[in-house]
Amino acid sequence: MRISDRRFALFLMTPAALFLAVFVAFPLFRLVADSFFKISPIAGGPRDFVGLDNYFRAFASEAFTGAGWRTLAYTLVVVTLEFALGLGMALLFTALGRSSQIWRTVFMYPLMIAPIVAGLLWKFLMIDNFGLIGTLLHQAGVLSNPNQIGWLSDPGIVLFSVAIPDIWLTTSFMCLVLFAGLQNIPGDLIEAARLDGARAPALLFRIILPLLRPVIAVALVVRGIDAARAFDTILIQTNGGPQSASETMSLLIYRTMIRFGDPGLASAMGTLYLLAMLAVAFVAVSTIWRPGKDS
Amino acid sequence: MRVAERTTHDAGAPAGVPTEPAVHTATRPYRRRGVNREGLEAGRRSTRTLLWVLLAAAMVLYGFPFLYLLFTSFKTPIDTIAVPPTILPREWTLENYTNALGRSGVLASFINSVQTAIISTVLSLVLAVPAAYGITRYKTLSGRIFIMAALVTRMVPPVAIGIPLASMMASLGLADTPVALSIAHTTISLPLSIWLMSSFFEAVPNDLEEAATVDGCSRLGALWRVVIPVVSGGIAVTAIFAFLASWNEFLFALLMTAIRSQTTPVVIANFQTQFGLDWGSMTALAAVYSIPVILLTLLLQRKIVAGMTLGAVKG
Repeated sequence: MRISDRRFALFLMTPAALFLAVFVAFPLFRLVADSFFKISPIAGGPRDFVGLDNYFRAFASEAFTGAGWRTLAYTLVVVTLEFALGLGMALLFTALGRSSQIWRTVFMYPLMIAPIVAGLLWKFLMIDNFGLIGTLLHQAGVLSNPNQIGWLSDPGIVLFSVAIPDIWLTTSFMCLVLFAGLQNIPGDLIEAARLDGARAPALLFRIILPLLRPVIAVALVVRGIDAARAFDTILIQTNGGPQSASETMSLLIYRTMIRFGDPGLASAMGTLYLLAMLAVAFVAVSTIWRPGKDS
Repeated sequence: MRVAERTTHDAGAPAGVPTEPAVHTATRPYRRRGVNREGLEAGRRSTRTLLWVLLAAAMVLYGFPFLYLLFTSFKTPIDTIAVPPTILPREWTLENYTNALGRSGVLASFINSVQTAIISTVLSLVLAVPAAYGITRYKTLSGRIFIMAALVTRMVPPVAIGIPLASMMASLGLADTPVALSIAHTTISLPLSIWLMSSFFEAVPNDLEEAATVDGCSRLGALWRVVIPVVSGGIAVTAIFAFLASWNEFLFALLMTAIRSQTTPVVIANFQTQFGLDWGSMTALAAVYSIPVILLTLLLQRKIVAGMTLGAVKG
């Protein structure tokens, strides 16, 4: 006898579900469990239950709250700039039509580059003394001295400098997604608006952006979540410095765990970070994503 | 409208993904000011010239960083950190490349990267293809819950599960092996693969395997012999994404590998501390590591664009 469709579907999904349960859910469970213990970093060392103490310590530490705000600021900067640049490029490609196709492909190339390489590359461009950007700005007469702006050494601006590789890497993604969305806007609609005398700004803000709203929402959420988890680019550029000015949550957790050898505290921070991300994810998924829905 | 679209699209380009020629010809051509342009496409010659100039400027700015990396990799090690820096090498040499590739562990790290990425890609596909099929074809409640859960795992910060995962692998006796790292990478690529494959399966009409089962095929047989060949294009796209996710991953590789299974991104990052600031070798190694995947992009660009835009324009 044939097994029911529902059983068959379950049978197909089971291996993937088991994999995710063992290698994602279980480590997460360990993380949450560890957050209630004071753990010696030495393997086999003592492990004492301390209740919520690690959470109190996390909230009491300036490093944690600071990293929280920096992560938020970093995410906002990355996503806003990427969106503005990506939309600009998508409109430009759309306005040029099919003849720009080859350039759209070329524009995609940073997406394939490892974040670690991108971070390294931009560090090389912005570094003090032999960084090219300072030198070019100096030669153009913008700066009086090539080292006038300490891109990666001035705590006041470093959080923005470390965001640049991230923006450079993924503006292409934003552009691709928005471009695809723009192709779905009926040409007639634009023509009708033009005939009614709509000028470019009105066209953009009254017609294009509202029609793109679902696409924009998804693109912003996907990129926002990725930006909030940024690690590689920042680690290789500044390692969170100077004076922790570019230390985002991922870096803080990593350093608390590895460098300061406090797995209990790091786990509490990780749990809080995860909860914040899941809250965002839940709102995002339930309002816009709706995957696998019946159409 | 979506149903009609689905049956007309071939499965390699799933519903909702605008492969642009189709979209352009589908909408009625509109004539304006005597020029055959439509919708948002600029019509006037002067406007177009201005836009091309803008595009050229944007492309130069956007492409420059990587070109500078390439130029730098051909400089002599001393010129690499000359003050003030020059854009082009004063003297073209392969010295940085021979230095970088000759260093112990570098070639081994390439082999590790390839191994890890291949194992992880295969693992992702083997798990994601049946799961995505089960989700999209049968639309059960468990399927809906499962794809939600898979998407939520995409939000998990790797730093949160990296350490527990590393200690799990150690207790399984897999510490510092490509297998352990590829399992870790699969936690990233599996949710993405399920999501992508679900979209590709959505584009396959139900009648296809119904016909096959009527002809006496089992459901598993229909999936294997009829449906999978139809979505092979989609499987290729998913494979590319899974491969790239592993190839470029750094944090798990940093946490879970020591010497034996170290991948190239970790080696690139280690140049910074272990050997002082050897910028020349670093740029050379970064170029060698990035160029194969950039070429891959250029070759397979259509497929990659389809994959990238899939989720976003679907809803």
